[in-house]
Amino acid sequence: MPGNDWLHCRCYKRRTILELALAALLAGSARAAEEGEAAKPPAPDDRFAFLTGPKKGQVVRAEDLALGGPQMQAYPMAPDGTVRSDSRLNLVILARFDPAALTDETRTRAADGVVAYSAICTHQGCPVNAWSNERSAFVCSCHGAIYDPRNAAEVIGGPAPRPLAALGLKLKDGVVTVASTFSGHVGVTQN
Amino acid sequence: MDSRAQTIAPPTMGVGEEHREMAMTRKQWLLSSVIAFATLASTAVVAGPIENYSPVTSARLENPEPGNWLMTRGNYKGWSYSSLDQINTNNVKSLVPVWSFSTGMDSGHEAPPIVNNGVMFISTPYIQVIALDAATGDLLWRYKPKLPEGFSALHNTNRGVSLYGDKVYVAGLDAVLHALDAKTGKVAWDAKVEDWKTGYYMTMAPLVVKDKILVGVAGGEFGVRGFVQAFDAETGKSVWKTYTVPAPGEPGSDTWQKPDTWKTGGASTWMTGNYDAESNTVYWGTGNASPWFGDQRPGDNLYTSSTLALDGDTGKIKGYFQYHQNESWDWDEMNAPMLVDFRKDGATTKGLLKPARNGYLYWLKRSPDGGISYINSEAYVPQNVFKSIDPKTGRPEVDMAHKPATGKAAQFCPGLWGGKDWPYEAYNPRTGMVYIPSNENHCNNLEGKVEERVPGQWWTGVAIPDFHFTVDTKAGFYGELQAYDVDSGKRVWRNLYSGSMMWGSILTTGGGLLFTGGTNDREFRAYDAKTGEQLWHFKTNSGIIAPPSTYEVNGVQYVAVQSGYGVDPAFQQELMSQLVGWQKDVPQGGVVWVFAVSK
Repeated sequence: MPGNDWLHCRCYKRRTILELALAALLAGSARAAEEGEAAKPPAPDDRFAFLTGPKKGQVVRAEDLALGGPQMQAYPMAPDGTVRSDSRLNLVILARFDPAALTDETRTRAADGVVAYSAICTHQGCPVNAWSNERSAFVCSCHGAIYDPRNAAEVIGGPAPRPLAALGLKLKDGVVTVASTFSGHVGVTQN
Repeated sequence: MDSRAQTIAPPTMGVGEEHREMAMTRKQWLLSSVIAFATLASTAVVAGPIENYSPVTSARLENPEPGNWLMTRGNYKGWSYSSLDQINTNNVKSLVPVWSFSTGMDSGHEAPPIVNNGVMFISTPYIQVIALDAATGDLLWRYKPKLPEGFSALHNTNRGVSLYGDKVYVAGLDAVLHALDAKTGKVAWDAKVEDWKTGYYMTMAPLVVKDKILVGVAGGEFGVRGFVQAFDAETGKSVWKTYTVPAPGEPGSDTWQKPDTWKTGGASTWMTGNYDAESNTVYWGTGNASPWFGDQRPGDNLYTSSTLALDGDTGKIKGYFQYHQNESWDWDEMNAPMLVDFRKDGATTKGLLKPARNGYLYWLKRSPDGGISYINSEAYVPQNVFKSIDPKTGRPEVDMAHKPATGKAAQFCPGLWGGKDWPYEAYNPRTGMVYIPSNENHCNNLEGKVEERVPGQWWTGVAIPDFHFTVDTKAGFYGELQAYDVDSGKRVWRNLYSGSMMWGSILTTGGGLLFTGGTNDREFRAYDAKTGEQLWHFKTNSGIIAPPSTYEVNGVQYVAVQSGYGVDPAFQQELMSQLVGWQKDVPQGGVVWVFAVSK
């Protein structure tokens, strides 16, 4: 079975180095803190690491994203390089549009047309990993919820009850960076 | 692992007292001529308190008492048949609800009420298990597991519990098998079956074989490699595990011609198998190959879309039959065939009977050594993919114009939900007929693309908005209920549903009846098993997609079913609202309904 552990492996190596460095004083607590970091939700100044595609594992730059979609999946990466992949709830989708095509609310959060949302569908919690050319919108492949990426991921089709939570973004030398935390609850609220 | 679960019991367990009162109430429902169809086992316990729980043995499972419903399909042969006949064609018109119970859950309720001497067990979406007094509907206990943070599954349903000894077994969505104390609902043990984060999940009712609990896995849309696994009923330790896609060097591995495709090849095992105790053979169905487009994994791709014959003790593959090769239509053949003996050339054949998702009804021969051989097949709905079927091997010749591939769109009918999906057909030995809940006049048009696999994510090669589901809008019907004579192979009758698909499992009884729901109008219906005439109906809270069951307590026969629409029928309903204007929403929310004949 191919694993999804490439991100974890990367973290583990970092962790090992850190533990060695702090072994004399802080070994136990440092490990706990590091593991916690990888599970914490995205925070300002986080960057993103691609989960898929030709640049898998690399830091996401604005120009890596095709103008007009589709989205790419990524995990937030803390300033110290820890990829926050210990919780599936941290998975995000990134896409780039002409800023003029965005609603005011979405443009305020976007960075030069780049938008970021939680990838976790608000219907049943599946990753929103599909794209509809016809609707030019995000689609959840499990049950067909459709979200408008240009308008705060409002639900425009299917069974989802709420929009996806959005992240505020900024660009630092072209690198897509978190400016503000999730705008709302991530994932499913029921059950 | 009790911390994972919460069990709720009522503050007092004075079930005995309540039952005495209840016995008086039940007199209202007693028929004037109660025929003692119940065996000693089902009548001995006068709806006794749960302290007097009757342990379930292999002998009981092999010969279940008519008064109980001990497993999903009623018996190991998969008939969904009860010989109870107190409720019959004469009095079914007087059937009335005697109690109901709200599960408090949404999504698709697909589990039958399982009944053991007055105690009913139901499971719900998100794998709650509820024990109820089968005669009064009083809550005995409730098991509420916590799913892991960030968990998701394609289908949040559960298809029922299984019983053995003094335990109740339920397959967790998060691919953990739970054993509960039948008397209290407390966790006896948990056994991890697989890592849900890689796309595995479980929805089927486990199958009890001697002292082992067998489970299969879902995840064919996520690129898993299917298997059936057996666990020790007492300890939860794994006893055997048989993959349904062979590894290199194993028999059948040459049917995976492209390296490594077997690792993600699908053949999930998401429905419960049937069991031939005489030959100790488990018959288990397998799902679609993955990804969906066969050109990405050249070869026949054993054992996808097949029936496997497994040794009950070791899991060794003793035989198989593959319904269609190089699967490309999402036609899982996950339902195990029914064990039915039928007449063939003047002699009785120990057979297997299966209305397949591919739209054909198959007559197969089962041999004592586990071998499966092809006898005959007939299309039970129009199908445009098979040009012919080899009369000796059963191998279809496929019309490539109707086989989707990567970069090649193709339309096929029936569509990916098939001539029938998972709902159970039934066999009534008194009529000699098989009853098939089916759908026709629908198609899909799919075109595949190569996608990068992310473990735990949808990986079929086509996105849901690109399913291109279509129906013949001039057709007079879509869902139907069909009856075939198993000896002659002739269709005897059918009922057509002009305004609904059919997602109802069938229950058939010695009273000459069929019970089923399955339509979008929330109806629960009874039909005459011989003629198909509708004899009774009742509008429930939601749409019924769960199998009905029947049982007897204190000489009274009950019919029970969960009503709770959701999952694929709800998705299909939404598509039909766009295509032909059906109402978009069928109300959701689960309720257990129990009926008996009013005096």
